[in-house]
Parts: sequence; C-alpha cells; structure tokens
Amino acid sequence: MALLNILHYPDPRLRNQAEPITDINDDIRQLADDMLETMYDAPGIGLAAIQVNVKKRLIVIDVSEDKSDPLILINPEVINAEGEREFEEGCLSVPEAYEAVTRADKIKVRAVNFDGENYEFDADGLLATCIQHEIDHLDGKLFVDYLSNLKRQRIRKKMEKHQKQKL
Amino acid sequence: MAKLTARLAAANILTEVTVRQRSLNSALATTLPELDERERGFCQQLCYGVLRWYPSLQFLASQLLSKPLKNKDADIFNLLLIGLYQLRDLRTPAHAAISETVNTSKQLGKKWASGLLNACLRNYQRQQQELETTLKANASAQSAHPDWLLKQYQSDWPEYGTQVYEANNQQPPMMLRVNQQQYSREDYLRQLADAGIAAEAVSGTEHGILLSRPCDVSQLPGFNDGAVSVQDGAAQITARLLDIHSGQRILDACAAPGGKTGHILESEPSNSVVALDVSAERLQQVESNLSRLHLTATLKAADAGQTETWWDGERFDRILIDAPCTGSGVIRRHPDIKSLRRPEDIASLSAQQQQLLDSLWSLLKPGGLMVYTTCSAFKQENEQQIEAFLQRHPDAEEVRPEQPPAQPRPFGYQRLPGDDIMDGFYYACLRRR
Repeated sequence: MALLNILHYPDPRLRNQAEPITDINDDIRQLADDMLETMYDAPGIGLAAIQVNVKKRLIVIDVSEDKSDPLILINPEVINAEGEREFEEGCLSVPEAYEAVTRADKIKVRAVNFDGENYEFDADGLLATCIQHEIDHLDGKLFVDYLSNLKRQRIRKKMEKHQKQKL
Repeated sequence: MAKLTARLAAANILTEVTVRQRSLNSALATTLPELDERERGFCQQLCYGVLRWYPSLQFLASQLLSKPLKNKDADIFNLLLIGLYQLRDLRTPAHAAISETVNTSKQLGKKWASGLLNACLRNYQRQQQELETTLKANASAQSAHPDWLLKQYQSDWPEYGTQVYEANNQQPPMMLRVNQQQYSREDYLRQLADAGIAAEAVSGTEHGILLSRPCDVSQLPGFNDGAVSVQDGAAQITARLLDIHSGQRILDACAAPGGKTGHILESEPSNSVVALDVSAERLQQVESNLSRLHLTATLKAADAGQTETWWDGERFDRILIDAPCTGSGVIRRHPDIKSLRRPEDIASLSAQQQQLLDSLWSLLKPGGLMVYTTCSAFKQENEQQIEAFLQRHPDAEEVRPEQPPAQPRPFGYQRLPGDDIMDGFYYACLRRR
C-alpha cells in the first residue's frame, strides 16, 4: 500500500483522456488499493486514476460515513440518467473550492468486475453525483468546467497562488 | 471528489463569526443548505457548542499551543476548538473526534496543521484533569464568559451568584405560541400528543407550550398553516401587556423577525398594525411569518426613530418598542453574543434605545400605551433607561399591570437568565396622560 500524489488544478495532466482497461491484473488491483488509501487519507469520497496521473479508466468511491463501503469501478459508464440534483461539490484536485453543480439524480451504471465480467447497477443521490464527477475525470473534465468563467478564474488564481507559496 | 463535511463547514462558519463579526444565524443560513442533509444537525451542534464554551475552549487552546497561531490561521484555531469541544462535551469517540478533526485541516488546504492539531488534542487527552483544574482558577474560562461580560453582570446584580452564567450556558428549550385564532392551548396540546410530541403548558403565558425536546418545525401539526409559531414564553408576555382591543391602531417599531407582530394580530386580527424594521432584508422574514399565519400588517423598511421618513401623521393607540439591545438576557439562544459583543456596545445601544423612546413618544395618542421591552439583563438598557425617560417626559406614567410579567423593579420588570425557564427579558408599560 502506498499514498499516491494527487495532481492539482490547473495541472494540464488532469486534461488527459483515460484508456479502457483491457487486462485486469495484479497491477490494477494494487493501483485500486493505493487509490483507496490515498482517497481516505485526503480525505475524499471519490478518486479517479487520472488524478494520480494514471491514464486508465479506473475510479474508487466510498460515500459511507465510516469508510465501510469502498467501491472500485473499472471502465465505468453511465448508460441511463434521469432527474436533476444540485450538490455542493468539492474535488481533491481543487482543494478548498466548493461549488454547486447540477447533475442527474438517478443513473444506471455499467462497469467491469475483477473477473472481467460486465455488470450494471442503479445509483442515486450522493453516490450518483460522485460517480458522474469521477467519470468526468476519466474524460479530462473537472467540476470547475461547469462553473461560470468568473468563478473558475477566481479558483484558478487561488490555486496558482497556493502552489507558488509551496515552491 | 471531496464533500463539505460538518467539521469543515463548522470551522468556516466559526471563522465568519469570530473574525468577520458575522452573526451565527446569518452564517448558518448561508452554509447549512450547502451541506448534505445528514451533516446539518452535527454542524449546527458544533457551532453552537463551540460558541457557547468559547472562552473556556480558548483558554485551553492557549495552554496547549506553544505559540499563538497567526491571524490568517483563525480557521485552524477554530478547528482546534471544535476538537476540544468534542473531547469535552460530545459523545463522539475520542479517536474519531481527533482523527476527523485533524483530517479537516487537509480539507482547509493546511496540511501543515495536522501534526499540530493532533499533538494539541492528544495532549489535552493526556493532561485533561490538570488542564481542567487550571481552568477552574480562571473566572472567565470557568464561567465561559468574557471578562467584561462577567463584570457587567456582577456590577448590575451583585446579589446574584453564578445563576446567570449557568443559565446562559444551558441549551435553550423550544417553546411554541399557539395561534388563538385557530386552536385553544388544550386542543393543540392534544394534537401534539397525537403526533407523539411530549409537551406541556408554559405557566405565566396564555398560549405558550414547552416541548420536552426541540424538534424540526415541519414535525409540528399545522405549522405551515399557521397553527403555531416558535417563540419563547418571555416574548409572548409582551402582547398581554399591550392590552389589545379591537379598533386600535398599533405600531410595532422594531418588528423583525415578526414574532410579536404575529402575536399582536392573532390577539385581534381586525386591528391596523404598522410594522417597521430598519433592515429591508429582515422585514421579509416578518412578511413570510405573517403570511404563514394568514395575517396582514402595513410593513415599512424604516428606522422607527426617524419619524419623518415613514410616519403618515396619524397617532397610535399602542406602541411596542422591542428595542435593539445587547441580548445579554438571551445568550443561551445566541451564544455568539459572547464573541461578538463589546463593552462599548452597551452605551451605543442605550443611546439608540433612548432615541427610539423619545421620538416615538409623541406618536402616541393621549391615554395610549407604550410597551418597552429588551432581551437584555443590564440596568443601563432597562430600568435606568426608563427612569431617565420618565424624568424627561412629565406626561408619561408607568403602569403596573395586575399580573407582573417578571420580577418587579423600581421601574419596570426584569427576568434574569435562570429566574425561570423563560429567556431573560425586561418590560415596562408607559401610559401617556
């Protein structure tokens, strides 16, 4: 197990596109475990491989109160969406910024399990919001892209200032 | 993805209050809706709890920190207080309280603080007994009141011991006012019993009900249709003092949020009531409260004391001045007062009160009644204010009602925190000859 380094906005690598996972091997299992550990440590409720600079379609999620419900999704896709839900989202790659984003309230998700088999499930509420937020990462998209230009610029400036202070 | 958590939101809210001098109610109103519903109650509990014990927690933090934090790290300081509050007063398991509080520093983008918070909170655990003994020797930390506030209570009420501070540190009960146009108190108590909500009548009030446990208003039968309002018994006594009859023209000079305006109209809905408040934003609360009660008043956003800006020239039979005050009688409901109020506020509020009394007095019809109330426990805002008023206005006399609303004073009536279950309050009834 190891903590991975999370990329911070506006790092251009967050704009990379992730490739589907074709070979589910021990490396993928290890990556998923490390991502879960990194997510819990952050602390966050979801993390996509792109955020730790791995261009693979892999996300980990746990929306439970007590870290009791880890979810590993390989090659996830939303195959049906309905309703609307607004939620104050934050992102481990955009620390300190929380803004309301509207997404589908109920979704049907297809993913692949560790045996390489397709499966589907329904999600709603916070879990649905989180899955959509993480799948966006795999396509190089961030929650700040949904905000007004003004808000996005303000967040970007704040992040750049922080990064300068760290150097 | 990251989520706004109760502790993170609480640290931000507390910083709004302690650094930017914003009221807790206003800071909560902005932030709570952003939180996941499950987290709202806990966030509120943390904010109220930390502000209630602020002087004590601040003292402990100063003992635990080797050097004070910088001003820009007020959020980390408040996070430390959140951690200490959980360890002292909540049933959160200690390890969870510590690790979650430490983690919140990362969410604030201040990972450097996690070691510091962890060390301070673990040191508190290890040295709890010793630290709490040191705390007992410090009057401000022990009573959880800033020094100036303690001194003010002591100089006004030397005969009272710790009663006032202890009452200020209690969690306030939730009280209701039954809308007499819709239900008798007995009928509504039955409705509550049917809904499984334990409650009893508040003695000393005509329509007051005390809930055994606070609950969300949405659980109260008929709330949206105006069956009841949330209001402390102390405020409910005001309407009785106004001696309301039909055909009266009544002024509620500082109306927001409209609790007493609603009560005045429930007593006699046909009366013409003018409700003023200096804040247009807060006046909207009066409007929404009245519309829930199906009552109407003439609402104007104006400073009541500047009569030329709003008065139409017609005098009033009754005037209620529920004056802006220090709130030193209702600290249990507004613990942010401990952090927000300054000693010099007493003088400036008392000048404002005097200006309201003097400028509204001439708007009262001869034979008419003015009721002056505050939720303060300080004499300068209360009995001394009224004594001076009576000296300035020979056409004014104090009326002593048959049933005293609180403890009789040389001028008016005072309830101090802890005198009974109701809020600390002051009342005076003035008749124009």
